[in-house]
Amino acid sequence: MKGENEFYIGYSGEVGKETKKVLTRFVWTAVFVLLIGVFLFGFLQQPAVNSSFDFGDPTQVSGVYHESPYPMLRVQLSEDEYKEIVLLGFGKSGPNPFLKDLRKKEGVLHGKQMTIEGQLIYYNGKTLLEIDDSQKVSVSGKGDSIVPSSLGKATVAGEIIDPKCYFGVMKPGYGKIHRSCAALCIAGGVPPVLVSKDENNVEDYFLLTDLKGNAIHQDIVPYIGQTSRLKGAVEQLGGWKIMRIDISQIVKLDSESSIY
Amino acid sequence: MGLDYKWVLWNAHKKTYDRLILLGMVTYLVLFFVLSFLTNPEIIAETVIIRAFGSLAIIMLHIILSIGPLSRLNPRFLPLLYNRRHLGVSMFLAALVHGVFAIIQFHALGNSNPIVSVFTSNMDYGSLVNFPFQVLGFLALLILFTMASTSHDFFLYNLSPKIWKGLHMGVYLAYALVIMHVFLGAFQQDTSLLTVLALFLGLLTLVSLHLKAAFKETKIDGMAGAKDTKGWLAVCHPREITESYAKIFTVDGERVAIFKHEGKLSAIHNVCKHQGGPLGEGKIVDGCVTCPWHGYQYLAHNGQSPPPFTEKVKTYALKIENDMVYINPEAFPEGTAVTPIYCGS
Ligand code: HEM
Ligand code: FES
Repeated sequence: MKGENEFYIGYSGEVGKETKKVLTRFVWTAVFVLLIGVFLFGFLQQPAVNSSFDFGDPTQVSGVYHESPYPMLRVQLSEDEYKEIVLLGFGKSGPNPFLKDLRKKEGVLHGKQMTIEGQLIYYNGKTLLEIDDSQKVSVSGKGDSIVPSSLGKATVAGEIIDPKCYFGVMKPGYGKIHRSCAALCIAGGVPPVLVSKDENNVEDYFLLTDLKGNAIHQDIVPYIGQTSRLKGAVEQLGGWKIMRIDISQIVKLDSESSIY
Repeated sequence: MGLDYKWVLWNAHKKTYDRLILLGMVTYLVLFFVLSFLTNPEIIAETVIIRAFGSLAIIMLHIILSIGPLSRLNPRFLPLLYNRRHLGVSMFLAALVHGVFAIIQFHALGNSNPIVSVFTSNMDYGSLVNFPFQVLGFLALLILFTMASTSHDFFLYNLSPKIWKGLHMGVYLAYALVIMHVFLGAFQQDTSLLTVLALFLGLLTLVSLHLKAAFKETKIDGMAGAKDTKGWLAVCHPREITESYAKIFTVDGERVAIFKHEGKLSAIHNVCKHQGGPLGEGKIVDGCVTCPWHGYQYLAHNGQSPPPFTEKVKTYALKIENDMVYINPEAFPEGTAVTPIYCGS
């Protein structure tokens, strides 16, 4: 800097011509870097799927309540067409806190005709319903409940996800980015679901239970959001498959998830 | 300076500069939103907010970290250094929006405290690819918060420049944490080869700029030469120092600036009391040595800031023999007056 007459003093506010040139170039470089950034982080994002969450747009659904392993509502769509809607609670929680009052009043709920106003979550033929207020649930009489049918044993590789986010609330609702949220959801009472995808990109879903067919939550948390291989007896419960697994037999696979 | 640090030093440049920062940030965010929703129509707003602010913060962090070495390599970048704080605080705010939205989205409304769950919802601390990357972002955000909240000169004075500087070196730790946060987080799932390469390139650019600046610094310094019989060190010929400027020498491991002012030489310790700026790379303005970083001033003959300021640096004795400048490596206490020696050129 010897021999140069330009010397910048912060508080004096005078900037020489050469300095101005350098600064202008710096600003344009910064603008260029920002534009590259928008392209890389904004444009090159993976496309999100068309899953839906009717946030702020509640729907009233009526059907026969099915209690175990995970609360569902069997809704009649037409003469002999039914849909089993898995019930969920508000935020990262299951439906049980919202059914507590009703259980106290009505006793056993299984097999009863129930009407719920909640927000629908749906993707790929599966539908779930978020209940955010126990006042919006009512029962009226009895209905026909579903019986599961066995599909034999199966070994399936995939990722354990929380269906609330996967089927609509969040995008992405799977994988490493979403793992913490899925862990909280499932620990909070949302049923764990195994997602697998075949070569034709067709997805298959399994609600997971323990070997006795009971709900599992906290115990499966360490396996969420990673690829793994599960083995168990599969049964069909309406529109959902249920797999009975031994958690200690889950094999973590160190491969990239097929659903990314 | 010492007595009159102001809450913020406002002048016309600062305003232009702040407007540029705001404009840049808003433009980035708007473009990000428009591009995201046009090209990825099923995406949800929460994800776009998290990604827009996160990526903005990391880009700003790169820009901020390039300013230091750039202004050591070319003093014309110094106005940026002087104004760097607002850029830092703005970057922190962008990172904060990212972090808060990520915590609300992924950690709130569960059955444990959202902040606690950042640390506990994924316990794979032993794994690399499954590592809870949010923890890295959280720690980085804490560091950035500490820095942003102590960025004002008030803290500089109350924490002492040394502690303040140390604290603010934390930005490098934060940068390392953020890089790992991204590579072990989003990059494990949703990225493109180009994005990964760009971030590598960013890292590489910053490392090489810092190395280049450090290398230049070692070259600026003259080496004090052989001792004479009484322990004085030969440094240079008087004419090697330009009027109103200095040359820096390493004397017994300390950097000393020898200034020439009105044909007379004075030696003072090279380290500015404000934030350690290199006084020897400054210039004499209005009779005072003026620090190139933020303009603190010192009188060359006694190392004191002109009244009412109270900063003082160490001074050194010089002598000229046989057209050679010698320095006594024993420094005088800070602020000791030394008569400048006339060198006639
Ligand atoms: C409380 C602290 C933080 C949390 C909980 C957090 C959480 C997250 C999450 C969940 C993602 C993945 C988002 C997605 O791709 O959908 C992410 C990505 C990212 N984060 Fe953070 N983060 C934090 C702090 C930071 C800080 C301080 C920075 C930078 C200064 C940062 C920069 C980024 C970047 C650049 C990405 C990847 C690009 C993107 O997804 O947009 N994060 N973070
Ligand atoms: S370091 Fe800030 S004025 Fe010298």
